[in-house]
Amino acid sequence: MLQKKICMLGTTAVGKTSLVRRFVESIYSDDYHTTVGVKIDKKPVRVKDKDLDMVLWDIYGSDEFQSLRITYLNGMSGYLLVADGTRKSTINDALNIQESVAKDFAKVPFVFLLNKVDLKDEWEAGPDLEAQLAARGWTVMRSSAKTGEAVEAAFHTLGEKMLR
Amino acid sequence: MAERPTHQNQSEDSAETREDKRQKFQDLRKLLLAPEQKEIDALRDRLDNPVTRTEDLSAVVAESIELRRAHGGNAELNKALMPSVEEALRESVRKDPSVLAGALFPVMGPAIRKSIAESIRSMLESFNQTMEHSLSAQGIRWRLESIRTGRPFAEVVLLHSLVYRVEQVFLIHKATSLLLAHCVASHVSTKDPSLVSGMLSAIQSYARDSFKAPKEDTLESIQVGDLEVWVVSGPQALLAAVIRGHAPASYRATLEKTIEDIHRDFGRALEDFDGDSAPFAAAEPLLEHCLESHYEPKTSTKRKPYVAIAALAALAVAVTSLIMSVLNDRKWNHFMESLQSQHGILVTSSGKEHGQHLVRGLRDPLAADPSVLRDKEQIDPSSVKFQLEPYYSLDDEFIEKRAIEMLVPPHDVTCTVKDGVLSATGKAPSDWVRKLKDRGPLVPGVKKVDATQLVSTEASETEMLAAALKSTIFTFPIGVAEIEPEQEAKFESAAELINSLLGKVAPLSQPLMVEVIGHTDTSGTEGLNMSLSQQRAEYATRKLVEAGVARRNLVPRGVGTAEPVRNRDATGDDRLERSVTLRLVPAKSN
Repeated sequence: MLQKKICMLGTTAVGKTSLVRRFVESIYSDDYHTTVGVKIDKKPVRVKDKDLDMVLWDIYGSDEFQSLRITYLNGMSGYLLVADGTRKSTINDALNIQESVAKDFAKVPFVFLLNKVDLKDEWEAGPDLEAQLAARGWTVMRSSAKTGEAVEAAFHTLGEKMLR
Repeated sequence: MAERPTHQNQSEDSAETREDKRQKFQDLRKLLLAPEQKEIDALRDRLDNPVTRTEDLSAVVAESIELRRAHGGNAELNKALMPSVEEALRESVRKDPSVLAGALFPVMGPAIRKSIAESIRSMLESFNQTMEHSLSAQGIRWRLESIRTGRPFAEVVLLHSLVYRVEQVFLIHKATSLLLAHCVASHVSTKDPSLVSGMLSAIQSYARDSFKAPKEDTLESIQVGDLEVWVVSGPQALLAAVIRGHAPASYRATLEKTIEDIHRDFGRALEDFDGDSAPFAAAEPLLEHCLESHYEPKTSTKRKPYVAIAALAALAVAVTSLIMSVLNDRKWNHFMESLQSQHGILVTSSGKEHGQHLVRGLRDPLAADPSVLRDKEQIDPSSVKFQLEPYYSLDDEFIEKRAIEMLVPPHDVTCTVKDGVLSATGKAPSDWVRKLKDRGPLVPGVKKVDATQLVSTEASETEMLAAALKSTIFTFPIGVAEIEPEQEAKFESAAELINSLLGKVAPLSQPLMVEVIGHTDTSGTEGLNMSLSQQRAEYATRKLVEAGVARRNLVPRGVGTAEPVRNRDATGDDRLERSVTLRLVPAKSN
């Protein structure tokens, strides 16, 4: 059985946990976030004709990446960088986080999710941003934990990147 | 110029000669090298001919494989041989599975049997423990717990009689926190081990970060209720054992040895790990070896039957002794009743002293023997002690017994006591009568002696003899003082009677003698009759003396007609008047 460790990164209230909840049936309660700062879930997926167990480390979001427990990232094969598309500040935070992570995990693939796409009226992330990031080689997707839009797809895309 | 043709000739010649020479050379070579050539041809033939080459190789193939192995070419050799071996096995199975099955049978059989035996043993152990705990109060409590928690009863029992049990073992890749291998004890419910593995790693990181511990340090144990998680760490992987109860410290050494073995056997796989845990399936037997368990020693459960047996035995002893005690009490009471009802025994007190019955009181020596009564009631002699002082019972029965014992009456005498008066009836010798009169009043309890009903044996005989004497009569013819000859024999028996009578009476205080009285009838004169009667008396006396009677005991006396015999005999026959009669009289005092 192939397993991969995947981290969910992004600041508070961008919807990481909701995305995970949308993706898997969890065995641990969300209280783990506040106790040890991480909640772990598993999702079996089939990617490129291979059975893959995604072990999701949903790391408690903090506004300052410095306080993020970098040790939780050790051994990850990929990560979802999540920002709230309705709040520009979270996008900046995400970019900062990516920059920090890239220092130690430059080759680790990731997918950037602009979440809460269901709130179209409040959308702040302009199309320029996506184009700019795509130009950097990033994979940017719009998702909604509420409607489930692009959730499965995001994980699959990450899976494919990891097995490339 | 001559040279040219010559040269031409020469060249023709030389052509021939060359051919010739070559032939000659060939011949020479044949001559010189023929044996070697043959050998070379044979060698070439051996090299080119697959049949001979195979034969040659077959001679050394085993040795060369061994040589290769000895030189450390194991891996390459295996790699080279494996596909062929695998293919050969596959082909063999495809062709005829029974061949390989037959070959493997001696290996598979015991392995399968061992596995089945192990399963049955484990099941029986569980069943035994369940049975042992089913009926006790504790068992009921555990059954309630089983209902409450939804766990099978057997599992609850096992959990409670457990000293420790390693329930799960995780092999975790340190760098990725991913689960490499996992094994779990039977009857243990688990959550997804890969998540547990992740959380364990996260907790490790959390603890390390929180207390700024060096990176290589690991959290060695985590305790949650009666669960403990022990972690041992190697360079690439860590081993986490989930233990219920308290494992001995030596168990950590087991874990450490296991993680070492895993690093030794899977070092390369650990380094190259990219998320594929398949190679670590082979490590599972090592992990299973860590699934130790230790239950309460059997002795503690076995002690229970002994306690029960001892309790039952004690109960049996108690019941038996209670029954014995009741029976003994009843026996004792019965004995005491019969003892107290005995005449001549007075019980003043009874009780227990030093585990022994003690009976105090008075006993007439003539009363029943208490030990006979005791034996009759089947009472253990050692359990009873009598302290009975002797006394004389004033009961008539005892006075009578006592009198009989002291006076020893003759057979014909009956002694009775009524109201303290000792009465004797029957015939007794005079000396006993004297004894009775003398000693009777001395018998304890006797107030008075009544001997009036007692007849002296001697007196009665004297009376009888006296009567016989009185009736003895010697008759005489008319006017004659000599007896008729046919009556001579009468004197003999009369003399015997007199002697006997006087002999009997002699011991008595009053001496006696016999009057020999002569009588006549009324015919004739008084004077003549007196003289005749005197003659007759003296005649009879003489005759009696002749028959053996002492003269001094006889008193002849003629009475004439003064004391007629008729008075004594109413027959009226006057022949009796002409006679001599005998009469016992007191002896005349000198």
